[in-house]
Amino acid sequence: MLRGRVLWVLASVALALGVWSPGARTAPVEPVVLGVPTALGSIEGADSLRAVQLAAEEINAKGGVRVGAVRRPLQVVSIDTREHEPGIPIHDALAALEKLLTERRPHAVVVGAFRSEVLLAAMDVVARYRVPYVVTIAMTPAFEARIASDPAKYRYLFRMGLQSEYFAGNLARVLGYVKSRHGVSRIQFVHQDVLWAKATVGFLETWARQAGWTVVSSDAYPTGATDFSASVLRARTGRTQILVPVFDMPQSGVLLKQVKGAQLPVAVVGFISPAVPATAWQAFEGAVDGMVQFVAEPGPLAVRALPKSVHFNRAYGQKYGEEMRMKLSGHGPGPSYDAVYVVAAAIERAGTLDPDRVADPVQRQAPGGVRRAAPGDRHQPGFPVARSWAAGGGVPGAGCGGRDPAARGVGPVSGG
Amino acid sequence: MSEVLSVLLYGLVQAAVLLLVALGFSVTFGLSGIPNFAHGGVYILSGFVCWYLLRKLGWPHLLAAAGGVAVAAVVGVLLYWLVIRPVRRLVLAEVIATFAAGVAMLELFRWMGLVTYEFNLPPVVAGSVTLGELAVDAHRLAVVAAAAGLGLLLWWFGRATRTGLALRAMAQEEYTALSLGIREDFMATVSVALGSALAAVAAVLVLPLGLISINLGYDAMLVALALTVVGGTERTAGLVLAALLLGVATVAASVVLGPHWSEVIYLAAIVAVLAVRPSGILGRLKELEERV
Repeated sequence: MLRGRVLWVLASVALALGVWSPGARTAPVEPVVLGVPTALGSIEGADSLRAVQLAAEEINAKGGVRVGAVRRPLQVVSIDTREHEPGIPIHDALAALEKLLTERRPHAVVVGAFRSEVLLAAMDVVARYRVPYVVTIAMTPAFEARIASDPAKYRYLFRMGLQSEYFAGNLARVLGYVKSRHGVSRIQFVHQDVLWAKATVGFLETWARQAGWTVVSSDAYPTGATDFSASVLRARTGRTQILVPVFDMPQSGVLLKQVKGAQLPVAVVGFISPAVPATAWQAFEGAVDGMVQFVAEPGPLAVRALPKSVHFNRAYGQKYGEEMRMKLSGHGPGPSYDAVYVVAAAIERAGTLDPDRVADPVQRQAPGGVRRAAPGDRHQPGFPVARSWAAGGGVPGAGCGGRDPAARGVGPVSGG
Repeated sequence: MSEVLSVLLYGLVQAAVLLLVALGFSVTFGLSGIPNFAHGGVYILSGFVCWYLLRKLGWPHLLAAAGGVAVAAVVGVLLYWLVIRPVRRLVLAEVIATFAAGVAMLELFRWMGLVTYEFNLPPVVAGSVTLGELAVDAHRLAVVAAAAGLGLLLWWFGRATRTGLALRAMAQEEYTALSLGIREDFMATVSVALGSALAAVAAVLVLPLGLISINLGYDAMLVALALTVVGGTERTAGLVLAALLLGVATVAASVVLGPHWSEVIYLAAIVAVLAVRPSGILGRLKELEERV
């Protein structure tokens, strides 16, 4: 009898301990999974992934994301879509996206497509899987037009990065300033034969003709091209004064070398992705001299007027090393870093991971941080920055949007 | 007038580039009948080796270039013994095996992430030269001089050295050459190693014009194939003529029609020559075969 009672007491104590023990009470906390399906072999894609990981670590260091009553850590999963490589078909990139969505089941996607062509094709896939998707690299304005055509279907899709119309508009303002200041009139466009660059140059060409420029030519090069002799020859015979490159491929840096080698009397004003990093002077062995590099996103440049951009540069340098920070690409990392914070905040506001309830707070989330909203569009970085290259390095301080004097001045860790 | 001269000058430079890139493939195929479709892979490999020796280990430029050429020659030897010899005389298998080896090399570099602008080589000669109204960087003129010199050197090698004569004998009549004591494996090894070394010479001279881009490995294969088909495999003069024609044609097409057209020129030339003159412009092999 006594033995029975003892056993009963012991069993009760064991049961009570089992129920109240910390191990049993705290079931393993499932992470909030963020997917990054992009061209990881490109400098923009690789840097953006690193920026996402940095933001996720910062959020996790503060306890993670509050989902209802539970704080859950962020987990970043990625897949290389290889879409920046020549000859990779769109459906290969889509297959990679679907693989990530079905196998890793992310609660949200950030960075997203690298190529606009892939972004447009991915929209239906994202709508089918109902995953909040924040694109930060691909730039085509057709994205917004497609969303407007069926807002209910595409309610999970958002842009946090630059759109080519804004990019072209800001670049046009810079070119207009150069024209009025220096009296130049002959302009030549050289661009990559991809959707965003074609849209940008299409806009710029129309603007240039209306603004009284003589357009010498507009030369499209396939992705991966390394010989720009045709444009150099056209520039010489057409007496080009301003050469406007629009490229996101590493090979485009060769254009600067060829222009210098041919001693062309032109000013280069535009966007060449490999000429953005602070290490460009060394990488180009001085061939970048005189170029006005239109950066457009201050993510890779620490701008004092945007304290978060200074923090981002410092934190990035501490985590990945100063050399990696100096090589930060000009398009992608800033918005990608912000996108993680926006998604995390949206989940906290929704109090759930239900995509339908997360999508609305993402829509309402006011962008801030590394980028800043453009007037009239809360999802555009309105802080264009140019970096001029001269005398062995970047000339500091060139907020060139003209609408915000506070943009002038580059932060202490920018490296020029 | 100035535009025509510009096209001709840049066409000449382009011809020299094409000739350098194609020489290695053409020499191996012409001398031993081995279609080394790993040529593009070896071309880019030697560029990366030169870059590593120069930029990471701080070797002098010339020594780094020599290192790239030496490594390429060794890779050529390995290619023959590990990839080509097991399928020797099975022409289709030789093509598939070497092509697979080349693609494996190139995609390995891509997988390793060797795709940024930092992978570039400095010019052999710095500065620019002004010819009349036209300025051209000195390195391009050095490429023209190097292509001409290398072409002459190979012409001499094939006619004045025992190894060159033995290789040509193997190419012309293999069984007679064997009966004269010429060792087949040794000669084939020499031809693949020589072709690979020439690919490396092209890499250290041509890649400074752009950067070490993996896609250039595939382009190198297309260029080598186009020149070999158009020029014929028997005479270096055929290769030079093909390089001049295609070089000027591609530059003229990209200036007049647009940069996309240069790739079309290569493919159109291959199709046209195969249809009209299968032995190439200066080649006579097909004609002789048909007559026999």
